[in-house]
Amino acid sequence: MRFTTPTELADKSATLASTDRKIKKRVLVCSGTGCAALGAFEVFDALVEAADGAKLDLQIELAPCADHAEPLYATKTGCQGFCQVGPLVHIQPDDILYTKVTPKKAREIVEQTLQQGKVIDKLLYKNPETGERIAERSKIPFYQNQTTIALEGCGRVAAESLDAYLAAGGFAPLAKALTLTPEAIIGEVVESGLRGRGGGGFATGRKWRSCVAAEGDERFVICNGDEGDPGAFMDCCIMEGDPYRVLEGMIICALAVGAKRGFIYVRNEYPRAVSRLQAAIDACRAAGLLGDNILGSDLDFDIRISRGGGAFVCGESSALMRSIEGNVGEPRAKYVRSVAKGLYDKPTVLNNVETFACVPAIIRERGKWFRQLGTEGSAGTKAFCLVGKVVNTGLIEVPMGTPLRDVVFGVGGGIINDRPFKAVQTGGPSGGCLSEEHLDLPVDFDALTAAGSMMGSGGMIVMDDHTCMVDVARYFLKFLLEESCGKCVPCREGIFQLHAMLDAFAKGEGKTGDLAKLERLAEDVQVGALCGLGKSAPNPVLSTLRNFRDEYEAHIERKKCPAGVCQAITTFLIDAEKCTGCMLCIKACPTEAITGQKKKLHAINQELCTKCGACRLVCKDDAVVTT
Amino acid sequence: MTQILIDNRKFNAEEGETILEVARRNQIDIPTLCHHEALEAVGACRLCTVEITGEDWNGSTKLVSACLYPVEEGLIVQTRSEGVLRLRQTVLDLLMARCPESTVIRDLATQHGQVTEYQQFTDGSKCIMCYLCVRACAKLGCHAISAVNRGTLKEVAPPFHEHAESCVGCGTCATICPTGHIEMVDTAETRTIWKREFEFVTCKVCGEPLITKAYRDYALENRRLPNDYYTVCSACKKSELSGHFARLSL
Amino acid sequence: MAAGPAVDMKAIEGVLGNHPRGATDALVHLLQDIQEAVNYLPEEAIRAAADHLEVPLGKVYAVATFYKAFSLKPRGKTIVKVCLGTTCHIRGAPVVVEDFQHGLGIGPGETTSDMKYTLEVVNCVGACALAPVVIAGEKYLADVKPGTILKRLSKGK
Repeated sequence: MRFTTPTELADKSATLASTDRKIKKRVLVCSGTGCAALGAFEVFDALVEAADGAKLDLQIELAPCADHAEPLYATKTGCQGFCQVGPLVHIQPDDILYTKVTPKKAREIVEQTLQQGKVIDKLLYKNPETGERIAERSKIPFYQNQTTIALEGCGRVAAESLDAYLAAGGFAPLAKALTLTPEAIIGEVVESGLRGRGGGGFATGRKWRSCVAAEGDERFVICNGDEGDPGAFMDCCIMEGDPYRVLEGMIICALAVGAKRGFIYVRNEYPRAVSRLQAAIDACRAAGLLGDNILGSDLDFDIRISRGGGAFVCGESSALMRSIEGNVGEPRAKYVRSVAKGLYDKPTVLNNVETFACVPAIIRERGKWFRQLGTEGSAGTKAFCLVGKVVNTGLIEVPMGTPLRDVVFGVGGGIINDRPFKAVQTGGPSGGCLSEEHLDLPVDFDALTAAGSMMGSGGMIVMDDHTCMVDVARYFLKFLLEESCGKCVPCREGIFQLHAMLDAFAKGEGKTGDLAKLERLAEDVQVGALCGLGKSAPNPVLSTLRNFRDEYEAHIERKKCPAGVCQAITTFLIDAEKCTGCMLCIKACPTEAITGQKKKLHAINQELCTKCGACRLVCKDDAVVTT
Repeated sequence: MTQILIDNRKFNAEEGETILEVARRNQIDIPTLCHHEALEAVGACRLCTVEITGEDWNGSTKLVSACLYPVEEGLIVQTRSEGVLRLRQTVLDLLMARCPESTVIRDLATQHGQVTEYQQFTDGSKCIMCYLCVRACAKLGCHAISAVNRGTLKEVAPPFHEHAESCVGCGTCATICPTGHIEMVDTAETRTIWKREFEFVTCKVCGEPLITKAYRDYALENRRLPNDYYTVCSACKKSELSGHFARLSL
Repeated sequence: MAAGPAVDMKAIEGVLGNHPRGATDALVHLLQDIQEAVNYLPEEAIRAAADHLEVPLGKVYAVATFYKAFSLKPRGKTIVKVCLGTTCHIRGAPVVVEDFQHGLGIGPGETTSDMKYTLEVVNCVGACALAPVVIAGEKYLADVKPGTILKRLSKGK
């Protein structure tokens, strides 16, 4: 239906919510990328079949969507966050979370849990520390320490359905905003202390206000969904799992700044986000939530999706705008801010997905409420992708200011195989690596920057002692080398040279004095490059140099990689004291370089060894060592 | 009208002017490689980097490219601060490594005291990716060449790296190239550039090459010039005219 | 140009029809649609796009070579994407790329001579819990151990 007044919308939402409350059991099968790849669709099909067989009148929906006619790729996902133990099946209202569910368990789930209300113990999450099984999702440490605002609806509602969003109170904030003056809306956002979640951390309310103040006959609102940091997929999850929230945030922004046209720039690697957002835009147009006279008001606003072409640099605002205009995505110097002269040289507000996703809640609960979460300089919560060598990999959201330790060891559950923690990388290729001494740092914009890293968009990659920091820096430089647009000399040539030096270190070809050369060039690129990408490109080098200088020195002076990663200067050996002769490494070795018999000491044939590290990965006794 | 300070000297500037424009008008030397008055500035080479501050900046400074930065009241600019000189040197060192064959770059680098040697490219290219040729070609309306690929692989090339189809052989790209990278070979009859050969129109008086036929046709069509516009070279036109005036004054 | 497979001009014209003539800002979009339709960007398609949108050919070529998603060479039947996101990297993805080099003789961006596989590397597909992850066509292969990828590809799991 097409809503012509806010009252019609409120009535419909109330009806939907009451119908919703009547649903006795709701089975939410997570179909986020992780769970889907682990077989969530097969689980879903099996559940439907088992429910049919049991003649159960259940509402089963694939969270967030029941449409999965095509396997995986064309399927819409909504991530429940705990990717590590997927596929996840969440049963409401009992709040039971089943982990690592296989299709074979479907019948059991239907018969025991849905029909008889019994909890199946062995499908519950097991706390690795205590061995205790936890039934309720909200009591699992991974979820316990989280506070969700941007991810409020992600994985909890049927995301493709506008009705589900309305039933959960969606678009009520927009209706409220329509009763406020533009200045009052901006005032609320300013009051909230919301800062851009895309990396820059610029105050959102102030940005909106400058856009209003800028001269121009037309204004634009752009949502940056070009989430390019490797190891970060928060925005992907939000766009796929809760697209209406993003649209609502943009519409409220358009109302505040007086824009009539909006764009969402979505990364090329996220085809599902595109189809999901498009479906949501179409539904909003039909419902009178986009287009002319939104909810019967004077507000005219429409949104178009612009797909990225696979260029990290397009996450940079000026490059992104050039890309929307159909050009090569090369940044411009930002001496005139894009908020005054942005898309087609018109005043433009550009915020990222997570920032817009916070806006409805801020209007609903008031700015003051948001501000009291988090820290003085960084209000609210922040979504992170906790990945790497951490036990609980997944999508999380915690209040700003949560100590890094609580994130890595609390929510994250510590390091895989109890190996020693070495570093956590934040901020993606533009960020830096923090070491053990930073573990008690509160995670917020300013503290991370002060420690030589940055918040970035929210990737958090945990590293253990088997991660080589020279290799990590080299990895990011390689990434940036391929992603630099090539326009300015410091970035194009500087990154090439920095990478070449790191490459030499990894091969044991570094020379005394190279570190000073590396450092100087890194600093020059930092000040000399044209855009944000170039200026931050040396961060991975500088932060690892600062915190792990001894590791660089080992590569250069001793020609050794202490972590045993850089292949050219590493030799794999088996520790005779520790080897139990379990043969696991023999099976894992792709080149059949390891020989030995059961319960007898194994040996590595160095001629055949490709130093891939597969043996070290599987050894349970820490018997594979490197020199 | 605003007032700014460059190297401790006061200058008047128009609103919207860049630091480079003000400096150049007042004979203050700021080196550039990718800048040309007739073309839009892009800030690619970073050689024109200067250090700026303001009275109310609490002592903080910033390095910006002079070719792009619009002046503002009270701006204080240093064109030879320690930071500026260091960055210029690094930019030139990097360009030296990129095109060691270029004498222009080598001379500039030597002038600024090259300090660090980086891994050299060995492809023999003299292109520093300043885009001057691409911008000039686009400005003339031909779009025969563009900057293709990205990152270190970025290069100037015609579409599909074949011959430049829409090139008219005007030669502007070769003339504007600061390092002499673009190859243009002229004989009495023809010009060869971007894998294409163009026939010249010769001056009907002295017989010297005047303009390529393709460029003449392009210019006549696009600039609404009289059909006989390109028949006599400018030198001959001049002497013809002076002869004409000489006769008049007799 | 090397003789490639016959270009499906009909499909390309169909795609062009979905974008208004002269809509210069639709360039990236149009190229994406063409690639979706014919699996790569043949020279004919780039020329047709320039013509249709009234954009200089040089600019279309610049855009086509700038964005990584575009391939100017014909691609194989199955496009295999090895994720080189940070998590995949530290969990051994570079070895997976080497496995392709050893086993099929192709590096990133290359296609096997039988046109069966094209290898591409991508930066994070957002499935870090499955690292190292490989996407073959539309299928996600999780936790790819060294030396196992080719076998898993042929089995499809």
